Amino acid sequence: MKIRAIALNTFKETIRDRILYLLFFFAAIALGFSRLLAVLTVGDRVKIIKDVGLASISIFGVLMAILIGTGLVYKEIDKKTIYTLLAKPIRRWQFLLGKFFGLVLTLFIMTLAMGLIFVIIVLLHTGKLDGRMLLAILFIFLELILITAVAILFSCFSTPILSSIFTLSFYLIGHLSWGLETLIQKTRPGTGRLALRGLSAILPDLENFNFKTEIVHGLAIDPRFYLFSALYGLVYTLFILALAVLIFKKRDFI
Amino acid sequence: MGSATLLIVLLIFLCCGGIVSLKSAVERIPRKKIPGASIIYIPSGKYLKYATFGYSSLVADLVYLWAIQYYTTYTIVDRFQNLEHIFSIISELDPRYTDPYEIGALIAVNEAKDLNLALRILDMGLAKNPDQWIFPFEAGHHAQRAGDYETARKYYEKTTKIPGAPDIAKRLYAAAGLRMMDLEESWKTWLEVYNTARDDRTKKIAGKHLYQVKSISDMNILKGAIQQFRDRFQRLPAGLEDLIRVGILPSLPKDLDGKDYVYNPKSGEIKAPSVWWKR
Repeated sequence: MKIRAIALNTFKETIRDRILYLLFFFAAIALGFSRLLAVLTVGDRVKIIKDVGLASISIFGVLMAILIGTGLVYKEIDKKTIYTLLAKPIRRWQFLLGKFFGLVLTLFIMTLAMGLIFVIIVLLHTGKLDGRMLLAILFIFLELILITAVAILFSCFSTPILSSIFTLSFYLIGHLSWGLETLIQKTRPGTGRLALRGLSAILPDLENFNFKTEIVHGLAIDPRFYLFSALYGLVYTLFILALAVLIFKKRDFI
Repeated sequence: MGSATLLIVLLIFLCCGGIVSLKSAVERIPRKKIPGASIIYIPSGKYLKYATFGYSSLVADLVYLWAIQYYTTYTIVDRFQNLEHIFSIISELDPRYTDPYEIGALIAVNEAKDLNLALRILDMGLAKNPDQWIFPFEAGHHAQRAGDYETARKYYEKTTKIPGAPDIAKRLYAAAGLRMMDLEESWKTWLEVYNTARDDRTKKIAGKHLYQVKSISDMNILKGAIQQFRDRFQRLPAGLEDLIRVGILPSLPKDLDGKDYVYNPKSGEIKAPSVWWKR
């Protein structure tokens, strides 16, 4: 109940944030631009629309999660409103989870709106709706949930600028960590390879939420992949949130 | 440590285990990929250079490192389709970086079995680095290995015109000429090598080749004369002197050591008195 109250309050707070509308405005332009860009191509125009559209949803969604998420907890500490909040019968983990769910709700609305624009553009162009596109958007949203958790984790102990840099780095590492597998294969068996294996296991693999290529090209995906990827995302989010709670619990507010 | 904290720590450990096992479960499921899809959208190096924010050399290194890994991944069957594109990107990002041209050409000729592709990559290197003799030299070497002596000769000739080129380029040029049976040009080049040799070893090598070129040329003349004799008299000459006696040749050629060529009247075969490379 308390989490819900904080979440709804956070939702109201974030939905009034001007930066959110600015990003949404640019996302809408990018989505519309995909239609224009497709005119310039020779060949499959739908591919360009789908590629640019899905990438826009993903990029602007991540920017929203980072730019809003990293200031969420910090603002409360900076403006000292946290004293009033924590003086009430609210546990710190409840406060943190409330903030998290509030932003997730905002991102859900934004992803829904961007997805709607995207679907309408594709529908206008092709006259049919590919259900798998919605699945791609769903997994983009799962990725956004994880990024939100990471932004909140850094927001617990760092300034918004540093938190943004850290979260953006997490995002980039997450999308490049698959390259470690190549490095592992090229490394001689031994401590080096073992260390790389350990690193590969711990580092986030955000490519697990990236079905853009498969969906644009109509490639088959094993249903188990959807299941395990979604579970992976949820467990990783839980892990990050648990870390955030642990840090936030130990923090002194002076 | 309170029980709540303990619970959170336990949750973190549980999540860690979950992440590792789920990741390995995901990795076990094969994902379909479009061969080469990862690279076809890489823009031309010219445009990519603007996106490197002044770190074009670093990006060239990274693309090169990636390219080595990519082209040694044998499971990507059509990996050679974009070979020229990738190496042209590196050359645009860092034109003076010579290794990629050489390695790119090696991959093209040995892995992709495409000599023309290798030559195009090396030509790209030469166009960007006209002072580097290594590119036409390597191109000549690859063409020679493929048995394309005409192309090899063309590239060795280019090599010899670049300052700092090794002496062997001229020798290889002459050798390629001989393979094409351009005896006159080959003789001229070997003679130049002989006259300008800076050490005894090179002089000795040039001398052997001069012997070889001259003996091939002489034997060609003798073989032609024997054929003429055979056409006229319906038999082989009993000795080489017969060719002078009937007026086919004004005199008999001798090898570089002044020795007569060895003639077998039974088979009509002509042999040089010495083996050129043992001389």
